[in-house]
Amino acid sequence: MIPARRVTLFSNWFAIYMRFRMRSYFNRLVVTPFEPKEGHSILLLCNHFSWWDGLWGNYLAYWHLNRKLYIMMQEDHLQKRMLLNLFGGFSINRTSREMIKSLQYAANLLNDKQNLVVVFPQGSLISNHTTEIAVERGIELLVKNIKGPCQIVYSCALIDYFESLKPSVFFHLFDCGIAGELTLEELTKKINGFHQQALKDQINVEH
Amino acid sequence: MIYPRKNIVIKTILQLYVRWITARYFNEINFNRISIDNHKSILLIANHFSAWDAIVLYHINRIFFRKNFHGMILEKTAIKEPALKYAGGFSVKPGTRDVIKSLDFAAELLNEPDNLVLIFPQGKLYSNMVEEVVFESGISHIIKKAENFQLIFAATFIENFDNFKPTANVHLKAQTGTDFKNISTLQQAYQQHYTQARAQQTQITK
Repeated sequence: MIPARRVTLFSNWFAIYMRFRMRSYFNRLVVTPFEPKEGHSILLLCNHFSWWDGLWGNYLAYWHLNRKLYIMMQEDHLQKRMLLNLFGGFSINRTSREMIKSLQYAANLLNDKQNLVVVFPQGSLISNHTTEIAVERGIELLVKNIKGPCQIVYSCALIDYFESLKPSVFFHLFDCGIAGELTLEELTKKINGFHQQALKDQINVEH
Repeated sequence: MIYPRKNIVIKTILQLYVRWITARYFNEINFNRISIDNHKSILLIANHFSAWDAIVLYHINRIFFRKNFHGMILEKTAIKEPALKYAGGFSVKPGTRDVIKSLDFAAELLNEPDNLVLIFPQGKLYSNMVEEVVFESGISHIIKKAENFQLIFAATFIENFDNFKPTANVHLKAQTGTDFKNISTLQQAYQQHYTQARAQQTQITK
């Protein structure tokens, strides 16, 4: 397992640079109004359908949720882009026993209320049009190991173009509750309910 | 009403522009090659969620349908983008008497076997996430009036996955029979194709 070697200064530069890149690539980045709970770390569960997802996690953590970003990445992906290790990337290898170590590492990070950990519960890239979000069992172990107060947030990012040739991304943020108060089944049910809600809300977004 | 105009120079420039912009922006444009009757014109019905829809279908027409491309566009768009009339764009102004004129013109175009007419029956832009596609009633007027054409449904979805550039997946279906009693039967037929295409789209994992 590769632990994060987060350097705050570099992470801040990266967040500013990526916001510039995103603002030039996307027509709009729209985040639904969301107030994170004070004194809680955040476990940010995101839908995973493009390589932008991790960068969007960084954008949300830095500019909207005001937490220090850590992100769980597949080991082979992180090895190819070790620079991301300096911005909070740590690895998980789903095929080895070290997976448990990565989940415990993520849980430990979440004991600090200043931290935010981005996890993709689907585990692989699934279409943006999917109506169901499968939550892998590892999330249960992760949540069980969190000792400090931690808020679980589901972020559903949806892409639409409308009048522009540039895409717009709409982040629908939902509060799933506090870690330790939910079973995996309850969490999965909530996430799927929120995902359906996001798909409905997306149809009525202003453009 | 604004009619399409012919100008070989502007048309060539537009064609080159579409080639350039689609190659530059998209990783891939995928579509299924359906069987088409070359002796019939094509009425292409598509979902409308972005400015790319018409560009992507224009590109597919160039490499697959190989017909004279025509597309119905809102009058305000036709005024804002005057070059579109050289690429086969003709205008429609919903809520005015001119609508019938535009619909009749579309039907006339379909009587010519070399033509393709693209219509977005939703009438305005909707999200790419919509489950249900709702049609405006004008399209049934064209179907009733036009003769000797084939109806083709297109459902387009754009996704990134692991590429920096997005991929456009266009699901085409040749609709057998154009004898629709009313707008809702046509809408149901398109909805069936759209739901199927969306289900296929959600199966893609990387």
